[in-house]
Amino acid sequence: MFFEVELQRDVKINATNLDKPVSRRFILACLLDNLFKEKASEDHGYFLAVTRLKSIGKGNVMDESGNTVFTVVFTCRTFKPFPGEELQGVVRYISQHGVLLKCGPIRNAFLSAWKMSKYQYNPGKKPAFLNNELSKIEKGVVVCFLVLAVRWINASRDFEMLASVDADSLGPVSLPGSDELEL
Amino acid sequence: MSGEEEENAAELKIGEEFLKAKCLMNCEVALILEHKYEQLQQMSDDPMNQVSRVFEKSLQYVKRFSRYKNPDAVRQVREILSRYQLAEFELCVLGNLCPETVEEAIAMVPSIKTKGRAHDDDAIERMLNDLSLIKKFE
Repeated sequence: MFFEVELQRDVKINATNLDKPVSRRFILACLLDNLFKEKASEDHGYFLAVTRLKSIGKGNVMDESGNTVFTVVFTCRTFKPFPGEELQGVVRYISQHGVLLKCGPIRNAFLSAWKMSKYQYNPGKKPAFLNNELSKIEKGVVVCFLVLAVRWINASRDFEMLASVDADSLGPVSLPGSDELEL
Repeated sequence: MSGEEEENAAELKIGEEFLKAKCLMNCEVALILEHKYEQLQQMSDDPMNQVSRVFEKSLQYVKRFSRYKNPDAVRQVREILSRYQLAEFELCVLGNLCPETVEEAIAMVPSIKTKGRAHDDDAIERMLNDLSLIKKFE
């Protein structure tokens, strides 16, 4: 789900940049740069865009070197998945064990073969999972799935999900369009 | 897993911060991110170099999974769903997945039929009919 949440971050300005008055623009540029590098947080999800600046605190000198910290409060658009949520993803990899779906900025949503109980694995040149009604889950197909669990990977600052299609209204859906960005 | 209480969006257990936060439907995010991308196109010869991987993947995702493309239709969807005393999260799940029947809506958003809430089947059906009209005339 996409959210607009309020965040607070400390922006550190090195003393070398303090020989002239620090502008709000410079602080904001540092904030945006920091968020770009941070990419996502376990609590709030992936950072998409800062939408509104609420406040910039007075600078607090951190140490003898003169480095200063400004506390910035702002609203930010984020994407964060929740267990129990229904999402849509695109199949990017298939094996006999299950399927990997990509869903927005999340590269790995694992849909285990155990969680596709009505589907059987069909190996071959174009492997796929098929059910009795000839519904097919293969590479490139859009799948509506239930998020069973979400895991935060601190090393890569990413989320991974466990998915299931074992319920009504879940499974492959036909939606127009491709996954490529139309430039 | 984060949070002391077990998170479960099906029961609207997403933490107080996210219950109070504004949720956005895919179609709303698509309009916002596309506008941002167009601004970058005007400013730079290579706008893809200006955006993060997260932005790029999110834009691809919301462009593909937006059920409504027209800005007026997007506005109408939120307006209509706002009449039905839904939580922000529920409103956006319905706007994203566009269930066609009452049974589908309840399967996708089980919390709308939680005991004590005023969403009987007729109200849900009316809501779905209103949504399908917007789609028809978009």
